[in-house]
Amino acid sequence: MTKTFTPARPIWCAGCGDFGVQQALESAMKNLNIESHNSMIIAGIGCSGSLQNNVRCYGYHALHGRVLPTATGAKLANSSLTVIGVGGDGDGYAIGGGHLVHTLKRNPSVTYIVMNNGTYGLTKGQASPTSPNGYGENNEEDLDPILLGMSIPGSSFLARGYTGQPAQLLDLTTSALEHAESGRGFAFLEVLSPCVTYNDTYREWRTDVYDVEQDADYNSSDKTAAFSRLMELREQGRLPIGLLYRGERVALEQTALNHEFPPLALQDIEPGKLMDKYQKAMESFMR
Amino acid sequence: MNQETLQPNLEDLNVIVSGQGGDGSLTVVNLLASVLRKNGMSVYTERDVLSRIKGGITAATLRAFSGERYTIGNHIDLLVAFDIDAVPKNLRQLNKNSIVLYDNSGGPLPDGVLGDEIRAFGAPLSRQAVKTFRRDIYKNSISFGLIGRILGLPDDTMRISFEDRFKRMGPQIMKYNLDALTVGLSLADELGYVEGKGLYRIQKIERKPHMLITGNEAMAFGFSVAGGRFYAGYPITPSTDVMDWLIKWSPQFGGVVRQAEDELSAINMAIGSALTGTRTMVATCGPGLSLMQEGIGQLGMGEIPLVIVDAQRGGPSTGMPTKPEQSDINLLVFGGHGDFPRIVLAPGNPEDCFYLTVDACNLSQRYQCPVFIASDQALSQNTATIDPLDLQRVVIDQGKRLDSATLSEVEVYKRYLFTEDGVSPYTIPGTPDGMSLVTGNEHDEFGLVSTDPVNRVRMVDKRQSKMKTMLPHLPRAGRFGDVDAKIGIIGIGMTFGVILESLDTLADRGIDAQYFQPRTLWPMLEETIAFINDCDVVYVVELNAEGQLAGLFVREGADASRIRKLLHYDGTPIRSDAVVDFVVEDQNRALGEEEVA
Repeated sequence: MTKTFTPARPIWCAGCGDFGVQQALESAMKNLNIESHNSMIIAGIGCSGSLQNNVRCYGYHALHGRVLPTATGAKLANSSLTVIGVGGDGDGYAIGGGHLVHTLKRNPSVTYIVMNNGTYGLTKGQASPTSPNGYGENNEEDLDPILLGMSIPGSSFLARGYTGQPAQLLDLTTSALEHAESGRGFAFLEVLSPCVTYNDTYREWRTDVYDVEQDADYNSSDKTAAFSRLMELREQGRLPIGLLYRGERVALEQTALNHEFPPLALQDIEPGKLMDKYQKAMESFMR
Repeated sequence: MNQETLQPNLEDLNVIVSGQGGDGSLTVVNLLASVLRKNGMSVYTERDVLSRIKGGITAATLRAFSGERYTIGNHIDLLVAFDIDAVPKNLRQLNKNSIVLYDNSGGPLPDGVLGDEIRAFGAPLSRQAVKTFRRDIYKNSISFGLIGRILGLPDDTMRISFEDRFKRMGPQIMKYNLDALTVGLSLADELGYVEGKGLYRIQKIERKPHMLITGNEAMAFGFSVAGGRFYAGYPITPSTDVMDWLIKWSPQFGGVVRQAEDELSAINMAIGSALTGTRTMVATCGPGLSLMQEGIGQLGMGEIPLVIVDAQRGGPSTGMPTKPEQSDINLLVFGGHGDFPRIVLAPGNPEDCFYLTVDACNLSQRYQCPVFIASDQALSQNTATIDPLDLQRVVIDQGKRLDSATLSEVEVYKRYLFTEDGVSPYTIPGTPDGMSLVTGNEHDEFGLVSTDPVNRVRMVDKRQSKMKTMLPHLPRAGRFGDVDAKIGIIGIGMTFGVILESLDTLADRGIDAQYFQPRTLWPMLEETIAFINDCDVVYVVELNAEGQLAGLFVREGADASRIRKLLHYDGTPIRSDAVVDFVVEDQNRALGEEEVA
């Protein structure tokens, strides 16, 4: 057997929420029998963007903010791969915010886990898009990416977990992976993952979180009702966690690919294989 | 002697059809191109459009030639103007032999617009269209009857070309257009252009079936035949036709095209695809290429293969979206932060576009780096006739790819293994035991982040050494004209056809010159510098104000004192008379200086 890289030890501070995210991801992959050589973790820039180094599978460290276009390209090019995007709130909501909108709209079957700590840890504590108004110098209202996702008609899976509730986080991670694995589209899981050094929110979040799974009235498949409830909870200063919305939308790769062919990456591209088709294309210029 | 024998054979014809955007000028030119192609002539067409959907004065230009030409000629034989404003706009390309046919529905051409020498005919094209069909748009089909008669096309030939052109649009549209043609023929009768009394005798040249294709289409096709399966792009003139062609054809080859939300997304989608081993391409132009710079550096550091087409247009910033320029050369060669290897190829006509794109796909995977194709608006969008492409010539080379079998012979797999040639073997995701880390951080051989100074130097050197490894395998220059001539001309992209025509004109005027078409711009090949330094004088023709191409040659060791820069940056396509005049004047000056000395 060929030896390859030995997964690295995490570089995170002791107590960082990202440990819990990695653990949940590895356990969920194991539980779902996702083969390590058939999966690819695409990570952003920031503390969370080193997760791929610690897991035994194909890993790619993307440009800052570009996790989702990269993941979309990888999935379209090889739809048989399990493609998992990971990153932080700065990466995903600030520099990469535009791509989040369009990925929700496109609905490719990839899983995206955002480790939201409400700060820029790696550059020493500046405000992120999810920092509350009043955090440091921040005088902007915070962004709720789940509500953003709710407003996009193409979205199909929106969930939020909290590293302080690891059992639920594992369930949500598993559900997210299952959603993408079963070709139902884009599974967006935001995880509240505190930064113990620059924004230690364990104490606030413990009391602020509101688990919709404990709320018999919450219907995660009724978008209008769910949206309304999430807005209410926000106004009450609560942070809803759990499976917040799940809908049925056709996944991008279902309509984008010509299913008469194997995945792009696995095709035999020797010209002889399709010579009659190339010839036909050439003849279209000869008329 | 009867009238017909006095008519010269049609050997070189240049026609401009101009009007308001939306007048259908391009349709007329395409129809004419199709008729003349069927007679075995080479055709070359050019579009002069504005960055707006309708309106403004636009033009479509056609050259038909009995031999081979990849440029519009210096003088226009016939100007068809649907709008009177189109006459002064195109005046500088007319000479005393030119004929102007204009729509006089809005009144005659004001006095003094044309000199006395130029023959001008007014015809009520728009008025007839509205009167007969209640639709202004039929004026272009009416004009075709006049154009055909003026040139000497048989009426039957025109009818057949209409039947071919409109057969897919239904019997009603076909009938209206054929009726419009008949209206045009009657107008021609009134002007004295009866059948068989046109300017030329249109002879039939025997020619095997050939293609009419743009550079953009040829690059898209080359990419497909080379096994290119993923394309991501953001629409931007003048590169969008690459995407358009692939949207139509790529799914039939099992490929996919994705329109991204911006160029940042496009190049990163492309990177995602390239990581899976899929042959991938993006096409853009200056503004998009500026946005893609972060991705280009990532390709360099991560050693990811990608083909990037740059259909250069007038810059900087938004510049002139529909006009040709070659002012991205510095960006292509030096763009991005940090040191990393790259390849820049430069095709000269659609045939070259096809084969160089195939080469680009192979080179990108062999050397795991970005490969640029430097095109320009004119090369990308003008159509030219070429002989059928030799698809059998296309060979796929995916470089040092390890599959399960070859990987099993490797004891320890390192994505960024230090090797003698700087190229590391690679696996693609899905290969058991082939797991790798690809990153934009500096990294060790496994792809794990490293800032160790010793590793850093080795990694930089490893990547840079690929530039040396690839040298013998990069596309060589095209050489044309008298190889012993001491006068050289260099140019890329759309200047290819212009310079080839210039060589013929210069030869007629007793000046022997040769054309060196560098097809690899970067890394600079020794042959390019040697060519310059072996000539007495080299004219570098380029479409930018700084002389970026010439600057690159001098930087790489060319003797600056031998170089004369012909810089053209007014947004129009350069013509061969500009090159010829420049060379002749410079030669005369040199001769004068010699005599003084």
